[in-house]
Amino acid sequence: MWNRIQTLFSGKSSKDVAKGRLHLVLAHDRTGLEGGRLQEMREEIAAVIAKYVQIDPDALDIQIETHKRETQLTVSSPITTRAT
Amino acid sequence: MGRAIVITSGKGGVGKTTTTANLGTALAQLGFSVVLVDADIGLRNLDVVMGLENRIVFHLVDAIRGKCTLQKAMIKDRRLDNLWILPASQTDDKDAVTPDDMRRVIGELKAHHDFVLIDCPAGIEQGFKNAIAGADEAIVVATPEVSSIRDADRVVGLLAQADVSARLIVNRISAHLVKRGDMLSQNDVIEILALELLGTVPMDDAVVATTNKGIPAVLEGKGLAARELIRIAKRLAGVDVEVSEHVGLFTRIGRALGLSASPA
Repeated sequence: MWNRIQTLFSGKSSKDVAKGRLHLVLAHDRTGLEGGRLQEMREEIAAVIAKYVQIDPDALDIQIETHKRETQLTVSSPITTRAT
Repeated sequence: MGRAIVITSGKGGVGKTTTTANLGTALAQLGFSVVLVDADIGLRNLDVVMGLENRIVFHLVDAIRGKCTLQKAMIKDRRLDNLWILPASQTDDKDAVTPDDMRRVIGELKAHHDFVLIDCPAGIEQGFKNAIAGADEAIVVATPEVSSIRDADRVVGLLAQADVSARLIVNRISAHLVKRGDMLSQNDVIEILALELLGTVPMDDAVVATTNKGIPAVLEGKGLAARELIRIAKRLAGVDVEVSEHVGLFTRIGRALGLSASPA
């Protein structure tokens, strides 16, 4: 009962926390990329995009998500308006 | 020609050996001819879980090296007519066996028995590769914990690469922990691993007690876990048994009365 009340106030049960952590961990595990390699990839992608359009390399966002057994890599980046 | 099924998990201590022993015993009770193979070379345990540790003379590695015939290395379980175990060696290491050796041994066993259950060692190295080499299908055992599910996911990926189809057993689930939100439910685990569920085995003190005595829980037949393991064995054999969910008594009554809508 106490747990239920706690859950009511904090909004998250320990199981929800476990599930959230698992989703993140598995998404990364499934790419087979260790931490440093991901950062390297991010920098390279930013450099390639910057060759064509103007972007802020720090704003480049890489998302890794899994649905069923498929892992999706999404790169998104705002294009900074060219100062004319 | 029989079926070879490897029981695997990635992580150690989640119940692979106990599951292998019980499913094999239950299949033998159903009348099938069954061989349990301990593929954990150097750390054998299937023999003690089955209570047959005092009867080992030869083992898998002896048979592979031609020191004895495969039949000689197999121990007949005296409690059931159609159940054997093929113990692992306790002194060799995993490299004593190759995937080709395993394919040959498992192939020979399949020719004479309905089911060959292979107890896989923990980990994803050579021992794992050997254990899955001769298998037609796999059972992945996972407990509802982050570490176990993470390792299971890795194993599922490796099984897919090896073209071995896998089904899931969620082991040691506790209905009251699930109910109060402190344990992942079977549906959470299925959703994360995206595997077909073969069954869910509840946490059950009776399994600890029977394992202490070297008796597979299904032989005594008492307790929730034993009953569920028997159902899983039937499902494995293709007898259609509904996958049961572990929910509390009140949820069940509520559902019967149409009060509770969503399953846990």
